Amino acid sequence: MTTVTGYQTGKFGTMSTYFQIDDIWKSRTGKGVGVAVIDSGIDQTHPDLSGKILEAVEARHENKRVLFVASDAGDSAGHGTACAGIISKIAPDARFHSIRVLGAGGLGDGQSFLAGLEYAIKQRYRLINLSLGTTKPQFFAPLHDLLDRAYQAGCIVVAAANNLPQPSFPSVFSSSLISVSKSTETDPFHFGFRYGEVIELTAPGVNVRTAWPGGGYKSLTGNSFACPHIVGIIALLLETYPNLTPFQVKSALYAIARENLEENRPVENNEGESV
Amino acid sequence: MSETAETQLEKKLRRLIETIDVGNALTEPLTDSIVHLLRITAAEMNSEEASVLIREGDDGDLRFLSATGKVAEQLINLRVPAGKGIAGFVFSSGQPMAVADAGEEETFYAEVDKQTGYSTQTILATPLRHNGEVIGVLEYVNRIGEPPYEPFSPVEMDKAALFAEAVASLINAYESVKLFRELGEKMIDGEGTEDYSQVRAWLGELRSAPEHREMLDLAILIRELAARGEAEREMCREVLEAVVKFSDQKSETSFLSY
Repeated sequence: MTTVTGYQTGKFGTMSTYFQIDDIWKSRTGKGVGVAVIDSGIDQTHPDLSGKILEAVEARHENKRVLFVASDAGDSAGHGTACAGIISKIAPDARFHSIRVLGAGGLGDGQSFLAGLEYAIKQRYRLINLSLGTTKPQFFAPLHDLLDRAYQAGCIVVAAANNLPQPSFPSVFSSSLISVSKSTETDPFHFGFRYGEVIELTAPGVNVRTAWPGGGYKSLTGNSFACPHIVGIIALLLETYPNLTPFQVKSALYAIARENLEENRPVENNEGESV
Repeated sequence: MSETAETQLEKKLRRLIETIDVGNALTEPLTDSIVHLLRITAAEMNSEEASVLIREGDDGDLRFLSATGKVAEQLINLRVPAGKGIAGFVFSSGQPMAVADAGEEETFYAEVDKQTGYSTQTILATPLRHNGEVIGVLEYVNRIGEPPYEPFSPVEMDKAALFAEAVASLINAYESVKLFRELGEKMIDGEGTEDYSQVRAWLGELRSAPEHREMLDLAILIRELAARGEAEREMCREVLEAVVKFSDQKSETSFLSY
C-alpha cells in the first residue's frame, strides 16, 4: 500500500490511499486463464479463436429445468464471437468456455442468462463475461443471490451496463461485480474508473473492430463490447497474480485507472498551473 | 352469468363488432402513428431507413411490423428467427448495439437484403421495452445521402433509446388492440364452444404467469384486510400509498448517477 500525498480532490473524490501495481501484467498474454463467455455462442472456426475454445455448451429447456449440453451450434448472432475476439486480442493465450444462452429458443431473456450464470459459478470459472442484462424486476433478487455466491466462490463477474433510461440488472449491483460502460478511448490499457458511480468502469466500446462469424471482422459500438475489454485486462492480471480475489481485482483496476488518469493530466509546474 | 345473459352479451358484441371494420379500424391508427414516428426519428437520426420488429410467438422470433424507406413494403411481415442476426441478439439480450459495416460478409442481414434488394451497411438496433420486458427492436439503417456512411455514434445510440420509449408505448397499445381485435374476430367467426375454450385457455395462461400469480396473492391479501372494516381499509390504503411513495423516492435516489 502506498499513500499518495498532495493528491488533489478530483474525479475519484478524496480517497488518498490506494495500492500500486507494477507493470508486469501488461506484457502477459492470459496464459492459463479460462474465460466463461455467457452469450450467443462462439464461432470456433474463426482464425482468431480456433483452438482456443475449451468447452462449448448451450442451454436446453427440459421438464421445466434448464440443462447445459455440449453444443456445436457456433454463433448465429455474432455477439459472442465479437466479445471473445476482443478478449483474445488483449489476452491471446486465454481460453474460452462458451456458454450459449441466446438463440437457443424457448427461454425468456432473464431466465436463460440466469441459468448460464449459475452454470458458470457452479463450475467455478474464475472469470465470467456477461454482456447481457435484464430490466425485469422479478430477476432482481435471484441475480443478487447468484452474484453473492459468485463473489464468495471467487468468480469475477464482469457485466456490461445498459445504456437505457432505466437501470438493468445485474449491472447496477456495484459491490459483487465489475460493471462497464463504453467510452471512445481506443487503447484497451487506458480504461477509466468512475469512483462513486453506479457503473464504475469505462472501456473502449465505440467502433471496436473485432472477430465476426464467418472468419471476418466488424466495427461494433455498444457497452457490451466495453465489457470484454475489461475481461481481457483481468485475464492478464490473473495470469500474473493467479490468486487475486474479486475485491482485489477491482482494487487493482482502480489503481491502474487512476494511474491512467494521472498520465493524462497536463503537467503542472510548482505553482500548480498547467504548462 | 346465466346462459341467457351470456347469449345476449354475445349477440350485442357481435352486432357491435360487425358494425365496424375490426380488421383495420382498431390497429390502423396505431400502425400509422408508428410509421409517422419512425419517419420523424429517422430524419432526426440522419438515417435512410427505420423499422420496428415485434415478437412473434413465445420462442423469441421477430417480425417486421413497420418500416420506412425504399424497401418498407418488402420488409413488412418478414420474419427473423430467434437469436438470428443483430435484431435477434438485441431482442434476446436487451443490449443496444451498432454495426458500422454490416453488409461486408455473409451475415443474417445479407439474407434480408437478398429478399429486399437493399444493401445494409451501417445499422443501429435498440430494444423496445414495456414494463421492463423487451417487446421488440427499433432499427435505424444507413444514412441519408451516398455511401460510405458514417457509423452511428454513442450520442445517437442514446437518442435512439429515448425514441424507443415512445415507439414502445405505441407498440404496447398496438398489441393490446390486436389482442382485442382477435378476440372480437373469434367471436364473429366461431360458432359454438370451441372459440370460448380458446379464450379460456388464453385467460388460463395469463393467470398461470408467475407475475400474475404474485399480484393475485397480493390482491387476495388486500381483499381480506379490507373486508375487516373501514379502519383496516383506511390503514391498508395509507400503508400502500406510503410504500409507493417510498419506492418512488428510492428509485429516484438509487439511480441518480446512472
